[in-house]
Amino acid sequence: MNSASLGRSFDVRYVITAAIGLFFAVVIVFPLSLVIAKSFSSDSGLSLANYGRVFSDAANLKALWNSVWVSVLSTAICVAAGSLLAMLVIRTDIPAKSFLRLLLLLPYGIPPFIGAIAWSQLFGPAGYVSKLYMSITGAASAPWNIYSPGGVVLVLSIYQFPVVFITVSGALGRIDTSLEEAARMSGASPFKTLLDITLPLITPAIVAGGLLAFVGCICNFGIPALLGFRARFFVLTTKIYSALSIPDMPIAAAMSVILAFVSGLALVLQRRLEREKHRYAVISGKSVRPQTMSLGAARIPLFVMVIAVALFAGVVPIASMILTSFIKYWGAPLALKSMTLDHYKYVLRIPIGARAFRNSLFLAVGTATITMTTGAFVSYMCIRARLVVARVLDFLGTIPYAVPHTMIAIAMILAWSRPPIVLYGTIWVLLAAYLVTYMPFSIRTTNATLQQVHISLEEAARVSGARWSDTMRDIVLPLIKPGLAAGWVLVFMPAFRELTMSVLLWSQGAETLGVVIYNMQDAGYTQIAAALSTVVLLIIFAGNALVRRLSRGEIGF
Amino acid sequence: MADWLERIRVLKLTKKFGSYTAVDNVTFTVRKNEFFSLLGPSGCGKTTTLRCIAGLEQPTSGEVYVGGRLVSSLEKGVMVPPERRGIGMVFQNYAVWPHMTVEQNIAYPLKIARVSKVKIRSTLSNIVDLLKLSGLEKRYPAELSGGQQQRVALGRALAMDPEVMLLDEPLSNLDAKLREQMRFELKDLQRKTGIAILYVTHDQVEAMAMSDRVAVMNGGVIIQEGTPYEIYKSPATKFVADFIGTMNFLPCEVVEWRNGCAVLRLRNGSVVRINSPEVGRGSHTLAVRPEDLLLNREKGVDCQVDVAIFLGNAVDYRVKLGDDILRVQTSADNRFEQGEKAKLEVQRGILFP
Repeated sequence: MNSASLGRSFDVRYVITAAIGLFFAVVIVFPLSLVIAKSFSSDSGLSLANYGRVFSDAANLKALWNSVWVSVLSTAICVAAGSLLAMLVIRTDIPAKSFLRLLLLLPYGIPPFIGAIAWSQLFGPAGYVSKLYMSITGAASAPWNIYSPGGVVLVLSIYQFPVVFITVSGALGRIDTSLEEAARMSGASPFKTLLDITLPLITPAIVAGGLLAFVGCICNFGIPALLGFRARFFVLTTKIYSALSIPDMPIAAAMSVILAFVSGLALVLQRRLEREKHRYAVISGKSVRPQTMSLGAARIPLFVMVIAVALFAGVVPIASMILTSFIKYWGAPLALKSMTLDHYKYVLRIPIGARAFRNSLFLAVGTATITMTTGAFVSYMCIRARLVVARVLDFLGTIPYAVPHTMIAIAMILAWSRPPIVLYGTIWVLLAAYLVTYMPFSIRTTNATLQQVHISLEEAARVSGARWSDTMRDIVLPLIKPGLAAGWVLVFMPAFRELTMSVLLWSQGAETLGVVIYNMQDAGYTQIAAALSTVVLLIIFAGNALVRRLSRGEIGF
Repeated sequence: MADWLERIRVLKLTKKFGSYTAVDNVTFTVRKNEFFSLLGPSGCGKTTTLRCIAGLEQPTSGEVYVGGRLVSSLEKGVMVPPERRGIGMVFQNYAVWPHMTVEQNIAYPLKIARVSKVKIRSTLSNIVDLLKLSGLEKRYPAELSGGQQQRVALGRALAMDPEVMLLDEPLSNLDAKLREQMRFELKDLQRKTGIAILYVTHDQVEAMAMSDRVAVMNGGVIIQEGTPYEIYKSPATKFVADFIGTMNFLPCEVVEWRNGCAVLRLRNGSVVRINSPEVGRGSHTLAVRPEDLLLNREKGVDCQVDVAIFLGNAVDYRVKLGDDILRVQTSADNRFEQGEKAKLEVQRGILFP
């Protein structure tokens, strides 16, 4: 290696690093710090007045309390259901394990607000299940109301339990089975082994999964919006939405900082548990097939039960969505002659439909491309070049992970609605918001991908006479391409159907799919919303199939 | 039915995984006070056999007796779960529970058996002394070295005072020096306690050093069973000969038999005689240990020294005999130079078909 080529390549790297640093400072750090500043400022300067207003106003306090109890209750349900299902699927002789696993992860792939719409189609006053109930019992109305705190809790639980399921089944799969076998050899029965060995070992995973589910619940906007507004039931995220439509920026900012604080706390705890894993590090040998507990006579009943849960949580809502998109009018009898393609035709014909598609596609492609490119570079500089500056970039780019989407939206409004740069009111403010939101994600996936390419492969290229740029082009990029592609799709999919930020930042001409679906549903155009949702679901599942192929089944649901 | 000295009896044990037969009709016995090793390359079925005895696998057919009690037989509908077999077991990766202290790990079997607190105390202190773990009682496994974790695993297996102990390659995760030390300690432990030990390993040196008897396994089958000496000196098959120690294999032709002596013609035409039970004429393979070949300047077949490696107490030669290359070990007193012409005398050998 001659010193000239070394010097030159380092120049290029420093230039790009500096550019990304500037980009992060402007796009991530500056807007987010504005929210915090706003929340602590009043006419008289720095003060706690805004927080005072949040805590002195009964309605705000109520929303805060609602957020807490709804999230805690949903999390408890997620933890119970997710852990039990993971145990059943991973550690018993229940039939068709991989099929069950796939079914149980299905809700994970459905955007929560689309799920909420499906659930209102099923259990709303004129919902399929409600009508079925009425026709069977002859009652005038169903004894339940999906537009209620209970409905919010139920639907939140359904869309967050896969998080717990994934972390717990991962932990169960990682447990060295000889730890359990050693207990059996020591005289412990299978049940005692479960209590004394398995459960303590997976407790960190259960708690970590629960914390993630809690953050998912407390930061969710779509479900409490679609199911809570009608019942005048507000949580923090929907209250922030209301405050912004007044608009009362200082209150919205203060509430979003409170939300960020609570969810941030949960994430810090979760990260700590993640690190605790090392405390449990012992020498592990060859892995034996996991010991499965025999369910005996309960095997088939439990199988049917798990299938029922999975169908209920994933398949039935999707089916209901598809059915609704084809039905002539909401409430029409379920018969073939009630079916029509009109809603799809309508969606394609109205300008707002086509526009939403274009906008969401543009935003998703743009976000995925920019974040993955930036993320790949930051990760490369971090892992390979071991630049201290790159570590800072890695940290800055990961901050938004802990920031609720509502707070990111407020940050965008505060930063980009004043000269010199006015993006608010255009599609660019959405792009900025998406970039902030998905940057941590791309940094993490590129990190994981790059870790898999051993440095000696690059060094071998350098020793063979390749310059840094040659090495990147000929060795590194080809090796990380499948990982990058999978990461790209994994950013594309949530960006394509984003709701929380879009609904706060959209403007005439800059509507996204999420916004149009939400507004259509809100305005009572159930079938139009269903047709659009069906198309979105189709694209999401196609994207998922692609990711699974790219990652050979390692990523995706 | 079983001899009272018999601690483990495995009878026609077969274990299939789908269409793959991991253990094929295996029969053997381990007696009281005996250190018995199952020795074989990885995938030979030794660990599966062990797991069938432990009750962690259900055999496809055959019977397992522990302490004279039938614990496993599909035919007779018997499958005693592992926790009711009263067997101590040490796993390859020790399987020390990371969320329990050393003390809690060792005392767990006693706790499960509802042994009184006082009794647990005294057993614990005995084991801690025996395994030199004192001072570490309150530590968690992650704070212990590999060797210490290993002792905890041993202690846990000993705590239940079993008549039978199963050890699944317990030394393979230790470094060479510690491994050697643990070998002596295990042997010593067994002598002190009188426990019957069934030991699974792929390391022939380990098996030879510790065992009273060894069963060599390959392809799910026991190929030979005997004392380490018997197996080393009279391997039953070419596989055993090759797997245990170093062995030279020479293709040869048995020309004739004369008073218990075989006259062989090697590939380069030279003629060798060895003592051997009669096995017929024609093509055979002659197996000779390096120490059974005498390199000298007076008698034997002509050869040439290719490489000489000085080991201190001995010299290791690689010797060319026509196209064949042989390993020969001689004492360091009588040295040959590389490239030197010499003679080779076969003092002892075994003929395999």
